[in-house]
Amino acid sequence: MLGEESKSDLYDVEEHRRDLSESFQTKKNTILKSHGRPPWYGEDGLPICDAFVIGIGGGSASGKTHVARQIVKSLGSIPTIVILSQDSFYKHHTEEEIALAHASRFDFDHPDALDMPMFAACLADLKACRQSNIPVYSFAEHQRLDETKYLYGAAVIIAEGIMALHEPALRALYDLKVFVQCDSDLMLARRIQRDVKERGRSVEGVLEQYLRYVKPAFDNFVLPTSRHADIVVPGSNNSVAIELISTHIRRQMNERAGHFRKNMAVRSVDECLKLADGKSEGSSFIVLPQTPQLKGIYTILRDQETSRENFIFVVDRLATFLIEKAMELLPHKKKVVVTPTETECSGKELDVKNICGVSVIRSGGPLEKGLQQVLSDVAIGSLLVQSDAETGDPLLLHVMLPKFIRHRHLAVDTWVFLLDAQIGTGASAFMAIRTLLDHGIQQDHIIFVTFLVARNGGLSVLRNAFPGVKIICGAVDEGLREAWLEHYNSKGEEHHEGGRKVWIMEPGMGHIGDRYYL
Amino acid sequence: MAATAVKTSQITPAAPFPSVFTLPQTAQLEALYTIIRDKTTSRGDFIFYSNRIIRLLVEEGLNHLPVVPKAVETPTGSKYEGVSFEGRICGVSILRAGEAMEAGLREVCRSVRIGKILIQRDEETALPKLFYSKLPEDIASRYVLLLDPMLATGGSAMKAVEILKEHGVLEERIIFINLVAAPEGLKAFSTKFPALRVITGWIDKGLNEKAYIIPGLGDFGERRYCE
Repeated sequence: MLGEESKSDLYDVEEHRRDLSESFQTKKNTILKSHGRPPWYGEDGLPICDAFVIGIGGGSASGKTHVARQIVKSLGSIPTIVILSQDSFYKHHTEEEIALAHASRFDFDHPDALDMPMFAACLADLKACRQSNIPVYSFAEHQRLDETKYLYGAAVIIAEGIMALHEPALRALYDLKVFVQCDSDLMLARRIQRDVKERGRSVEGVLEQYLRYVKPAFDNFVLPTSRHADIVVPGSNNSVAIELISTHIRRQMNERAGHFRKNMAVRSVDECLKLADGKSEGSSFIVLPQTPQLKGIYTILRDQETSRENFIFVVDRLATFLIEKAMELLPHKKKVVVTPTETECSGKELDVKNICGVSVIRSGGPLEKGLQQVLSDVAIGSLLVQSDAETGDPLLLHVMLPKFIRHRHLAVDTWVFLLDAQIGTGASAFMAIRTLLDHGIQQDHIIFVTFLVARNGGLSVLRNAFPGVKIICGAVDEGLREAWLEHYNSKGEEHHEGGRKVWIMEPGMGHIGDRYYL
Repeated sequence: MAATAVKTSQITPAAPFPSVFTLPQTAQLEALYTIIRDKTTSRGDFIFYSNRIIRLLVEEGLNHLPVVPKAVETPTGSKYEGVSFEGRICGVSILRAGEAMEAGLREVCRSVRIGKILIQRDEETALPKLFYSKLPEDIASRYVLLLDPMLATGGSAMKAVEILKEHGVLEERIIFINLVAAPEGLKAFSTKFPALRVITGWIDKGLNEKAYIIPGLGDFGERRYCE
């Protein structure tokens, strides 16, 4: 029953549904994903709705985790769900408190044992589609650890714990409040069974703790919170109640989606194209000077006869040059140095606190080497965006970001080179930028570096939504044409049935990722 | 050849000779120079940041090579009216510091041929003297990127050009790639070889009494290879 999740990094606890039963035994703060995350923002670039938040309260061993698990199971196709356990939010203890805890004389069942403001802050961030770095509490050490666990991108959040309905700040965040009602004797029986079997305690010890702390806490703090609940669920034989809850959540989710579908940023490329004004002026959109050398480079890259070896070499060379030009967009400040000739020289230095790269997999990869040639030890995060075979919507499948972005207080001062080979419809660029903004990156600290941009593609939608984001590219193509890829499904694997709709830039340089990697 | 100071820098950013081209004098470029000028910069950083400038110099130098129109078919089946490079090139580095620019050259021009020239001051005459040279046999038919990071008085660079011309290379087919130049050296060099294009990253204030570039960055070869 304890939050034993110790991983502090990344968005990595992605369990497939078939692993659900296993993962639930050990991981309470878990992100569960069945498929990618569809757009959660409108054409204006702003998020269209918050995540749906469920608070589940109830006595110890009343079956809260079971209820949470059953809700997740019956929701089925919701893309990402986080189960947030109250256990993570025990306070940072003093030496004396730790000694008491080891002697089983510390009252963990009192509301004061929990860091409620932090619980509410983390939940509020997650609800608003922002990242959160939740604390990790060790029951072995009876202490909050230095590490934190990064969570981002859940559409549904379940917060559970005995005090989940106790704190007004938490209750204000819930879209649905559930209280799991269970008879005290049943809860005690379950508790004895669990603590003796799973934690090697003696029956006497369990009973003593129950009478000293658990029972009074339940009577004084937990049970009274049931009056805040929207629905009270029995602690056993509760399948009907769970069905009711899931139906309610599904309907709420559908209503939100339906209400906002017409505002979806990338609902159809055709409409984006209608909005395209072909304008490419402005200081936030930079096209490299079209020198003979650059034209020569693009001729090699566009030529279908170019060998793979040559293509890779020229891409790396161009990427390095593009990044050098992108670096010119960073702020600089004055610096005075003394040269080896003992002369004072007034020069400049980079005036940025943190800088990192984020590559949109797979086509951002060909720009990574260039970035490393210019910033040798730069951290490079990655995002995987694929388009849905049926709707054409982009889906966010994977997020792995450097610490400068994961932590909100660092993200504010972080500059990001966002790398993707081309901007056609702009759908994945849009999603990538929204993801960075969700993390607290400032719009004008994002520099999108790309080889090729379609003049009449999603560029104008992108620039209208995010006017502060700078885009730098080596060439602009006039055409964007719809095509049908027969043998590839949405994962890009060979697939002999169906196919998928894609947008092809013309004249373009073909599929840059394929030509660079395959 | 007095240099006029500009607001953000005590170094003149504009090239005063028609055959001399500087890189765009951006804050970013100035920051790169500030790192390599700083006497406290480690050798590792010196190598990394000077390489970044050298790549930009080579990219700029290649812009001065002629191109011819070339139409290609893209993988999408469209036609693209592009250009292709005409003529073959080679690099020639003036030892020892010029060798430091070879890696940057090869990052831009893969497996390009590189010749070497060693020129030192003759102690008796105080004039630059050729000590050693190994050049591609067909150098007369190639465009030559002549590499030397520092142009102070221009003595050894001018000697190197003379050697290239003796090997049949046309003056207008030589592009001199240089990191930091003194106005005195640039004047002498470009007056002597007006058809030869010079690509330099930064033009410094001038020379001191020992003929070191001021503010300069010290002895490039020494900092790159020895310190």
